[in-house]
Amino acid sequence: MRNRLYILLLTGGLLFVGGQAVAQSQGDMRINEVLVVNTDDYEDDFGHKHGWIELFNKSRGTVDIGGCYISNDRRDLKKYRIPKGDVLTKIKPRQHVVLWADNMPLRGTFHVNFTLQETNVLYLTSSNGRDIIDSLKFPVGEGPFDVMDYEVSNKGAAVKMVGAIPRYPLENVSYGRLMDGENVGGANGWAFLTKTTPSSNNVILNSEAAAQRFKEFDPYGLIMALTAMSVVFFALLMLFIIFKNIGKAAIRSGRNRAKKAGLSSVEAAAVVSEAVPGEIYAAVATAIHLYMQEDDVHDLENTILTIHKVTRSYSPWSSKIYGLREIPRKK
Amino acid sequence: MENQGFFSFLGDNLQQFLGYTGFASFTTGHMVMILIGLVFLFLAITKDWEPMLLVPIGFGIIIGNIPFLEGLSVGVYEEGSVMNILYQGVRLGFYPPLIFLGIGAMTDFSALISNPKLMLIGAAAQFGIFGAYGLSLLFGFPANEAGAIGIIGGADGPTAIFLSGRLAPDLMGAIAVSAYSYMALVPVIQPPIMRLFTTKKERVIRMRPPRVVSQREKIIFPIVGFLLTAFVVPSGIPLLGMLFFGNLLKESGVTRRLAETARGPLIDIVTILIGLTVGASTQADKFLQLNSIKIFLLGALSFVIATTAGVLFVKFFNLFLKEGNKINPLIGNAGVSAVPDSARVSNNVGLEYDKKNFLLMHAMGPNVAGVIGSAVAAGILLGFLS
Repeated sequence: MRNRLYILLLTGGLLFVGGQAVAQSQGDMRINEVLVVNTDDYEDDFGHKHGWIELFNKSRGTVDIGGCYISNDRRDLKKYRIPKGDVLTKIKPRQHVVLWADNMPLRGTFHVNFTLQETNVLYLTSSNGRDIIDSLKFPVGEGPFDVMDYEVSNKGAAVKMVGAIPRYPLENVSYGRLMDGENVGGANGWAFLTKTTPSSNNVILNSEAAAQRFKEFDPYGLIMALTAMSVVFFALLMLFIIFKNIGKAAIRSGRNRAKKAGLSSVEAAAVVSEAVPGEIYAAVATAIHLYMQEDDVHDLENTILTIHKVTRSYSPWSSKIYGLREIPRKK
Repeated sequence: MENQGFFSFLGDNLQQFLGYTGFASFTTGHMVMILIGLVFLFLAITKDWEPMLLVPIGFGIIIGNIPFLEGLSVGVYEEGSVMNILYQGVRLGFYPPLIFLGIGAMTDFSALISNPKLMLIGAAAQFGIFGAYGLSLLFGFPANEAGAIGIIGGADGPTAIFLSGRLAPDLMGAIAVSAYSYMALVPVIQPPIMRLFTTKKERVIRMRPPRVVSQREKIIFPIVGFLLTAFVVPSGIPLLGMLFFGNLLKESGVTRRLAETARGPLIDIVTILIGLTVGASTQADKFLQLNSIKIFLLGALSFVIATTAGVLFVKFFNLFLKEGNKINPLIGNAGVSAVPDSARVSNNVGLEYDKKNFLLMHAMGPNVAGVIGSAVAAGILLGFLS
């Protein structure tokens, strides 16, 4: 009974963890950039310009956002349900998707039933309709508001103010994260961007920067050698310390067992080391050698082949009479 | 008239067929590469140098250097071809962890568990990797390529393929061939260095026989070993995870069939595929370049540095050890993870100076520690440079 209870608890725990894991994948989506007023920016497939919301998959796995909800009303989180079953709702790792805030849901999966000018909040909710994955409150009203951007150079990227806008919403100025999916830099990681980047990274960074910077700072590889060797030594030193102690504990417990069994100290030491004297190995090897040399067990054939009759004892399992392929007879 | 038409038709077709044959686009580069493949086969078959690796790689080089017209979907770099599909295991890096699974399932870590201080020798020998990294930077390679070249010093073919596939895919063929070639040359490269840095007195040091390790300790080792190393270097999880998992299959005592598959048919299949496809990826236009020569030179230097570091570290370590507990510096070379060749070299050189001093069991300790050390080092390079 107790075992069953454990199994039940374990299964429940695993299912819970599994459920969390599924939820976590949708939980990796982030509201990444929004454009409220679009007069001269990105166009939809119908050639129209509307406000848009960019979502970003910050994980390293594909996330299906089908079934998630997006809303501009805290009291109605289920305002727009992103349809399930559309292949385009499967967002690849570190990729973006743009939703059109045009209040025209009949135009397709990515056209939501509200606009961004109605309120200044946004909620992305998981497919259970309860858990808010991400939310955004973008500033509105009279400014001035700082416009931030990254200054990218061969030494990396740094956030800096590049100007100001008098009010928001302002045509064709988006509000986005300075680093995709992250809250790093600026006002909690968000800034007004005069250069909008729908379906693309808000800031384009050189992927080779890490290796390049390493070479700049460490042209002879000395820092790398020192750091990496320290890590290798640390990892193996920890293993050494742990197994040194495990070994000691094993020897101690072996001695204790031997003592309990009433063995002398010499015998106990032999039990602990489980060492077999070399003479015993030599004796065993000699015995095997002598045995193999004897005539009656040699492995040379006498060159006479004999065909022995093989008899099989009867068993109903091998009987054709009781075979499973026998056609059933009507009685 | 009809005959003339028929012959001109036949001639056109024959001409077209000749255009499709390998002879039509055969170059000196192809010939050189085919000769290299044949040399590999010769060394493997007649000299018995790492035949399990050099036969597939050698034949793979020949396969990859038969000229053909592109568009027939036969080349290793042509999407959808059979060779390309097999090559995905190298490109995406899933063959090396599978090989590590097999290595884990066939490795007995007893020598290391019974004498854990030997682990530090495995760490010291990784100097070869970072020495070669520094030299590669001096040779003008970018940091990511230098990291991929440096890993040759780890003397671990699968790790070299895994890392170069991620840091410098264009150099993978040269790096893999270099790593496997020098692994085959371990019995030639290491002994002179071992003799150079040791005295006669040191070469005859007798080490205490290792104690017998209980099964419980053997089971704990892969679990604790993985937890510790993977937490320190998560980027090494694919290699370390498979290595320790394979070892747990072996030592748990309840998964005999799985362990046998991992160390038998599975590793054999993957070795065939990895050897053949790595060989086939070394096509003349990509391989016969100045960079390949530099890589071979750096690979040799990395083995020299690794061996030297291992031997010198043991000598340094001995300064702190009591008489009777000292380590024979001839096992220092085994820190490079060419299992079990470098351990065998330790044993053979040791026997030259003392016919009764068998160092094989002792050398297996740093040897398997070197496997762990090189996987950790690969994880660090990946973490820093990718």
